[in-house]
Amino acid sequence: MKQLTKALAALSMMGGLITGTQALAEPFKVGVCYDLSKAYTFATPQVSQAALDLAKLINMKGGIGGEPVEVIVRDHGNEPQRGIECYSRLSREGVFVFDTLSTPVSLAILPRAMQDERVLMQSLVGRGDAVDGTVFDWVYPAGPSYWGQVANDIGYIKQLHDGDLSDVKVGYIYFDYPFGQEPIEILQTLSEMEGFELLLYPVPLPGSDQSGAWSKMRRDKPDHVISWMLGGAHVVASKEMQRNRIPMEKYISVNWLNEVDIANIGTEAAIGLKRGTNVVGGPDVALRTEIISELYDKGQGSGPLVNTQDVYYNTGLAMHSIIFEAARRAEEMEGLPITAQSYKAGLESLENYDANGLMAPITLTAEDHGGGGKTRIEMWDGETWVPQTDWLAEYSDVVWDVVRESSSKYEQ
Amino acid sequence: MFYRLSGVHHADYVSDTRIFKLPADRNLAAFIFLFGLVAPFIIPSLYLNSYILPWLIWTAAALGLNLVTGWAGQLHLGYAAVMAVGAYSAIHAARFGIPWEFALIIGGLSSSVIGSLFAFAALRVKGLYLALTTLAMQFVMDWVLTHSPAITGGSHASLQSPTLALLGQDITSDAGYYYVAFGWCVLVTIFMLNLKRTGLGRALVAVREKDFAAAILGVNSFYYKILAFATSSFIAGVSGALLIATFFFLAAPEQFSVNVSIQVLAMVIVGGLGSVIGSYFGVALILLVPGLVNGLVVAGSAGLGTQINVETLAHIPNAVYGALIVVVLLIEPLGLGKLYGNIRDYLMVWPFDQLRK
Repeated sequence: MKQLTKALAALSMMGGLITGTQALAEPFKVGVCYDLSKAYTFATPQVSQAALDLAKLINMKGGIGGEPVEVIVRDHGNEPQRGIECYSRLSREGVFVFDTLSTPVSLAILPRAMQDERVLMQSLVGRGDAVDGTVFDWVYPAGPSYWGQVANDIGYIKQLHDGDLSDVKVGYIYFDYPFGQEPIEILQTLSEMEGFELLLYPVPLPGSDQSGAWSKMRRDKPDHVISWMLGGAHVVASKEMQRNRIPMEKYISVNWLNEVDIANIGTEAAIGLKRGTNVVGGPDVALRTEIISELYDKGQGSGPLVNTQDVYYNTGLAMHSIIFEAARRAEEMEGLPITAQSYKAGLESLENYDANGLMAPITLTAEDHGGGGKTRIEMWDGETWVPQTDWLAEYSDVVWDVVRESSSKYEQ
Repeated sequence: MFYRLSGVHHADYVSDTRIFKLPADRNLAAFIFLFGLVAPFIIPSLYLNSYILPWLIWTAAALGLNLVTGWAGQLHLGYAAVMAVGAYSAIHAARFGIPWEFALIIGGLSSSVIGSLFAFAALRVKGLYLALTTLAMQFVMDWVLTHSPAITGGSHASLQSPTLALLGQDITSDAGYYYVAFGWCVLVTIFMLNLKRTGLGRALVAVREKDFAAAILGVNSFYYKILAFATSSFIAGVSGALLIATFFFLAAPEQFSVNVSIQVLAMVIVGGLGSVIGSYFGVALILLVPGLVNGLVVAGSAGLGTQINVETLAHIPNAVYGALIVVVLLIEPLGLGKLYGNIRDYLMVWPFDQLRK
């Protein structure tokens, strides 16, 4: 009997020790609830692979403050209900930083994250007015909103025309649902301000039929075409442009255009095509080179190598570099364990952070959760992306007017 | 043995038309009801609010669709659009300052009006043509939602729902949301259970079986079809509004898109047309199983220590889930409700079933 009690006591002590050390070694976790099976699969494999690779690289270098980091990837199939389930489940496991890479799911999680005081990262998706940190304290778009991006596109066109847009025609071809409709407001405001003529060409989802829009465009002869479409729709657009003899140089795409689309258009046929972007395109960025030599050359990559040659991989690296850099700052400033509060402070201490030349520098503050909204225009030259401008943040005041007008309605 | 039949006699019409004729059924229903009442104290909040709450609301919605598809036999592919009408009108009403009790009723009534307006046009055709017309309704509604910022709340098309308050009580706790959903689901269930005992229910079944035969019996089939559409739309509207008020907290057009319509129809078909308990099972299978299987596969692969690509990992549950639906419908084409019925029938006479043979 005595022996038994002794053994039990020893066991419970050991148990205490184990749980004790576990509490200490609790890694910094990122909840990556992505749509890996439905609508967003054009980008999620590359982005989640980038997240996993980045976490591996950080752990190889000793983690954050000596503790390892962990990326938990789950599929939500672009269904708000399953996104909420993923969020609630991971929240219970102590995750307080989430990324969804899906607008419907991001919208569905947002009210909960705000109430539970958990950080919702939503680079490139979700509601654009979330850059207003005074209203959305726990939501960090940390990158350009579509409003900012389209304003920068106009800024670039203005550069091309030496600052005078008075007799310029800008065509805007877009998916006729909220994703594509979002920038119209800014375009109309800028059209009044700068005096260019704005021509709208809505395209029904999924963008496989655009013949009407492009033949109308042939008659209207816009000088530039800004395109707010995704994936295969770019390929359809390029075919229609060839048919209507509209040169590729006129096409300025939203950031959602990658090497797969280029290959489908044809690497030669795509020469001259432009895209707005907040990350550097092409495989020659320092962070990716490091990941290739440290992980992929040793056979430890988190997925196929070809995914890393995609601009969405760079996008993923950029998004998750911000997430981990903020954790590092939080650890430096307030030590371990990182809490939601200290993490938020870490995010808001980021100043001109560009992940070693990977992306547009961002500066997050308590008011501006977008980080400045800088993007640039890159052109496909047949082999790689060639930057056409510096990092731009044009018409910030116009963009912020629209942001504040929209965010003020949230609480009502 | 479990469903003891001895001593159960129905000597008058009142006893013969009871909802639960067997004490065992009655006891089971009472037990489940009591379990539902104490669930917030037993079940952890994760399961309560991420699984059970949406399950209850979707069950209420699926029961509404079952009324029109299972009882009245009219295929309806625009059900999510009707839910959207209810959700948006209720939220706008609540934002306008109308108390939630009335806002919910406004949501239900406006769904009812729009649903039956469409039915007026749609019911001039039958069968597959009706299905296509209701699908058109879904697309019209999608278009209206994505093109009217005034309805959907600005360029992001997301509309925040005000805090739910019923009977002067602000509802903000997990248990509170759960009870609201539970209450609504119980109400709809009681209504549906009673439906088959009423003249309306019998008329609907007559219309379903053969509408012109029903007409010969003196049942105005057009009137009853419209009535079925209006009633089911009311249920859809309130369910849609409650889904936003207690679960999503924010309405967006994607929550009521065409694939949601097809999902609800799948819930009803997998559960069993015209079966109340089947709707519960069907919703569980369609709504909850993908997430559960996903969790199981992830846990399983982590447990085995295998390095599976995240993308593959995401597709395995989809395959399992699809196979599950096929298997269920192969085993019992009448759905999960019938499957439950088979088990119940077997147990009813067990262990003396050989006496019947």
